[in-house]
Amino acid sequence: MRESASNTRFAEVVLPHLDAAYNYARWLTRNAQDAEDVVQEACVRGLRYFGGFRGDNARTWFLAVVRNACFDWLRRNRPAEVTVVDERTLEAFPAPARLVPEQHAIERAEALALSQAVAALPLTFREVVILRELEELSYKEIARIADIPIGTVMSRLARARALLAHSPLLRAVGESAAGGTR
Amino acid sequence: MNCDDASVRMAAYCDGELDAVASADVERHAAGCARCGQQRAALLDLGKRIREEVPYHTTPKSLRERLMAPASTAPRVRGPWRWAGLGAAFGAAATALAIFVAGEVLQRNEHDALSRQVVANHVRSSLTGQRVAVVSSDRHTVKPWLSARLDFAPPVKDLAEKGYSLEGARIEALDGHAVAALVYRHRNHTIDVFVRPESGADVPPSVHTFRGFNVARARGAEMAMWIVSDLNVEELTAFAADIAHRE
Repeated sequence: MRESASNTRFAEVVLPHLDAAYNYARWLTRNAQDAEDVVQEACVRGLRYFGGFRGDNARTWFLAVVRNACFDWLRRNRPAEVTVVDERTLEAFPAPARLVPEQHAIERAEALALSQAVAALPLTFREVVILRELEELSYKEIARIADIPIGTVMSRLARARALLAHSPLLRAVGESAAGGTR
Repeated sequence: MNCDDASVRMAAYCDGELDAVASADVERHAAGCARCGQQRAALLDLGKRIREEVPYHTTPKSLRERLMAPASTAPRVRGPWRWAGLGAAFGAAATALAIFVAGEVLQRNEHDALSRQVVANHVRSSLTGQRVAVVSSDRHTVKPWLSARLDFAPPVKDLAEKGYSLEGARIEALDGHAVAALVYRHRNHTIDVFVRPESGADVPPSVHTFRGFNVARARGAEMAMWIVSDLNVEELTAFAADIAHRE
């Protein structure tokens, strides 16, 4: 009886943030099926650790659980993505190039290019962009979820934005737009 | 403030992380400095583009069904994870939400009770994927649909110009009575507006936070409104003022 009340309260606290959890996992894994597995695992873990939740910010708490589940999953299945990226390896970071910009659909191509550029960001940079811009979380909340200092949140965001602004994916669209008569 | 100071603070400024005094300093500098003004415009533009163009992936039906499924029939997580009986908790929670809320209501005052109900309604509609029963951005479609199903005619405003697009409406129950629920969207936030007749003087919106959602309450044009969303307090307050404003 007591357990079921606690389970119900857990689901009550977590369910409202299911979209946030799925979106986060979806962008970290870049795959719908993997994101579902990760969120399900996060719910299993969350239910187990829920007794330790005393805070007022359920979204931050649950997203931190999702992040841990996600990184464990990535470490097991795609260890190469989890390696910490420093400035030097970034230079060589390959961007996927599979853009088919239609001359008459430059705007759509640009939107697609930006999504692809975000997807192409290294993991730790991608996650701060998603948490900041799509979840609209504060630096403090992002720091708590990713378990990093606020200064690191800021430097990763700055680096991520610089990478996006100079992404070859965005440039490719810009060039094809400018050189339409070619 | 010089360019170095402004440049260091520009991202925090654009992310709304600076206090009012520091914000004003950056703004003053950027207004008179072409380079910093450009940096600000580029940052704001990038943020806006990401929010508009990069898709926000909402929970697919398949995941919801996996979570709600009873433990015995739930598909196992692929890979080495053990399945723990989640379905029981989620399935129970989804259906018990209303009962749970109603149970707690008894101990609370009316104001709180209604907030709980509107939040529960808001959550349930997003969980079941039934946000709108009539899908239309045209208030001349939405209003007659609601009027035909209620014993009052709720005001339906077009706030598209202010960035709030009307998505449609549904009927909800509040305190055992049928009320109108208008659904608006702002960026990736859904806003539910619950409307029912209530006489009395206009009351400006007041916002409080409940279970991670912001709930605004207002009265205008003989209608009481509860507005619930995960939108931030400032924007929700502005929206509430717009929607409760007597035309």
